[in-house]
Amino acid sequence: METNYAITVDDLTVAYNYKPVLWDIDLAIPEGVLMCIVGPNGAGKSTLIKSILGIIKPIAGTVSVFGKPYKKQRSLVAYVPQKGSVDWDFPTTALDVVMMGTYGSLGWIKRPGQKEKKASLEALEKVGMLPFKNRQISQLSGGQQQRIFLARALVQNASIYFMDEPFQGVDATTEKAIINILKELRKAGKTVVVVHHDLQTVPEYFDWVTFLNVKKIATGPVKDIFNDDNLTKTYGINYKVSVQE
Amino acid sequence: MNSAQIIIQIIIALVAIACAIPGTFLVLRKMSLISDAISHSILLGIVIGFFIVEDIASPLLIVLAALAGIVTVILVEYIQKTGLVKEDTAIGLVFPALFSIGVILIAKNANDVHLDIDSVMVGDLSFAPFDLLQINCIEGVPDSCINLGPKAIWVIGTILVITLTLLITFFKELKVSTFDAGLAAALGFSPIIMHYGLMTVSSITIVGAFDAVGPILVVALMIAPAATAYLMTKDLKKMLMLSCFLGVFAAISGYWLAHVLDASIAGSMTTVLAILFLLVYEPIITSALVSISIAIAFFFYQYYQELLVHGVNFEHLPLGEKIHTVFSKFILLDFIYCIGMAVSLAGFLIYILPKRGVIYGYYKVQQQKTEIMLLVFLLHIRNHEEESERHVKHLNEHINWQRLRSKTIVDLALKNNMVTIDDSIISLTDKGEEFTEKAIDYIITNKDAEIEEMKDDFFLFRG
Ligand SMILES: Nc1ncnc2c1ncn2[C@@H]1O[C@H](COP(=O)(O)OP(=O)(O)OP(=O)(O)O)[C@@H](O)[C@H]1O
Ligand SMILES: [Mg+2]
Repeated sequence: METNYAITVDDLTVAYNYKPVLWDIDLAIPEGVLMCIVGPNGAGKSTLIKSILGIIKPIAGTVSVFGKPYKKQRSLVAYVPQKGSVDWDFPTTALDVVMMGTYGSLGWIKRPGQKEKKASLEALEKVGMLPFKNRQISQLSGGQQQRIFLARALVQNASIYFMDEPFQGVDATTEKAIINILKELRKAGKTVVVVHHDLQTVPEYFDWVTFLNVKKIATGPVKDIFNDDNLTKTYGINYKVSVQE
Repeated sequence: MNSAQIIIQIIIALVAIACAIPGTFLVLRKMSLISDAISHSILLGIVIGFFIVEDIASPLLIVLAALAGIVTVILVEYIQKTGLVKEDTAIGLVFPALFSIGVILIAKNANDVHLDIDSVMVGDLSFAPFDLLQINCIEGVPDSCINLGPKAIWVIGTILVITLTLLITFFKELKVSTFDAGLAAALGFSPIIMHYGLMTVSSITIVGAFDAVGPILVVALMIAPAATAYLMTKDLKKMLMLSCFLGVFAAISGYWLAHVLDASIAGSMTTVLAILFLLVYEPIITSALVSISIAIAFFFYQYYQELLVHGVNFEHLPLGEKIHTVFSKFILLDFIYCIGMAVSLAGFLIYILPKRGVIYGYYKVQQQKTEIMLLVFLLHIRNHEEESERHVKHLNEHINWQRLRSKTIVDLALKNNMVTIDDSIISLTDKGEEFTEKAIDYIITNKDAEIEEMKDDFFLFRG
């Protein structure tokens, strides 16, 4: 049986100001996995996601989404940026931020209507943020802001989800709630790619892993490649992590 | 009001709205400085245009000026991209360079023509009503033109219509690319296109408004209303409408202020804008200061008029002496009136203004303290069956409070129908019971959902 790849990245090199931060990355993400990208700060994890999504132009290499360029497949991909990347003092409400997730399917000029609003309210409900729908976003706690971002990705109703550190600064309950939603997505046949920092929880949460530090160190099923050897190669120091058999 | 005054007011109102719209997005994108840069750099475009066509009224000047604005933005971005300096530094490098080239070109070549720095920097509203747009003129035939009214109204009006159309059409794209450029890019709404679109509109607006009000006022009208509105609302649409409203208000009241004081129009408008901002930023102190000034000015003006009628010759007196002469006529009663007027005005201002600022912040902290106390008190009542613990007079002993505080808290609870007092014994009402339960629940679980509606009444649960 041939594997279908959700994302294929070939020879990707990305540079800021002519200084490469990602070198010659080859990566194939099979459809239907719940994958995490791990690597130290500054490893280029966010950059990798951004260049897959066409937010940053790579200086070399190609990216395809289900075999086609990203530009043709936008509607299949949802994105949760790192929380610190936006201005939370922006004058808008939680519901409005979630509605932004529907803009992609609307395209230029068309405005969101009742249908989009209904979908957004449902997404808010799913992440347990419905009571906060009219809150100004700066008055939400960090974990609540993260949930709003998750709801915004859910409302995009995509096939592939990219999430940059969705567990950043959330408490244990919220983390469980988020991972349950991600697992549900995988059950529905979606592909989920998450930037993750907590190595302890990798075996429990994910079934696929990519080690990244400027270069790709390894990628594959967690049970096969999540070991001290790869961790040491990625982080440079010797890691002892108990891998569940 | 004569027709020229009405026309001037229409022009400045249109300018204020045309500036407030792009200004709102500049403020939200933290790019206020760029409007300053554009407003200076366009001088170079105007000068070059003037050398090409030798006609200050040619539309080519507007085109070149707008182009110079966009070149500024591109240069700033280019320098910033090298990663050597930050955006504000890049702005600081670019516009003085372009501006000074413009100034040098004028100084070297245009000494004899009507293109001096003063008129370029301040703009001139007084002549705007008489600068008419005429078409179909036949050479040598007097009165053959079709008169379309003041040119400035046409220029600004056109810019405003374009801006509004773009705003309404691309509102959602502007919003998402301003809030989250990454998402906008991923969704296919190029943030670069939105950025340059906004910059082009800003440049054209600045150029169009420049002629009428000069660069300083243009920048003030772009940034100050938006910055003020930003403090007043947390809704983008309301912020846009408020900026327009504040801009128009400041422009028109500034115009009349200038009229009354016989001062510069641009200066008066900028002053009104600054006062508006301060009123919202620090309402209580500013309200007090503004009210006192208005009250004093009011009485001062009355005496001044009176003394003029009595033939006092103020003409030759220096300002200090003028003020002294008028004030020496004040009597005690005037000061009392003056204070009364200032207090009532300040009270009114504080009442209508949004609640922010240092003094209000202090008040809010006090309020929060009281509410915590209220909760402690309610909990105490709930937890104690025995009457001795619930006696009005003995509260202070049991909760270890001062008498005064106990009284305030009991009064507050009574006012909110949370307790009843029977024979000096306090008991919780159903409402008090419910409130206490929810509040405890909130404090323990930190779950917000339950008390979402109660929050507006109580500071305790905010933030
Ligand atoms: N806009 C930028 N301009 C210049 N350099 C950048 C920019 N963004 C990131 N970098 C650099 O690129 C490298 C990779 O950054 P990236 O944000 O992809 O790291 P990351 O793996 O996501 O790190 P973190 O775990 O801290 O989020 C870092 O060395 C960073 O300093
Ligand atoms: Mg990152």
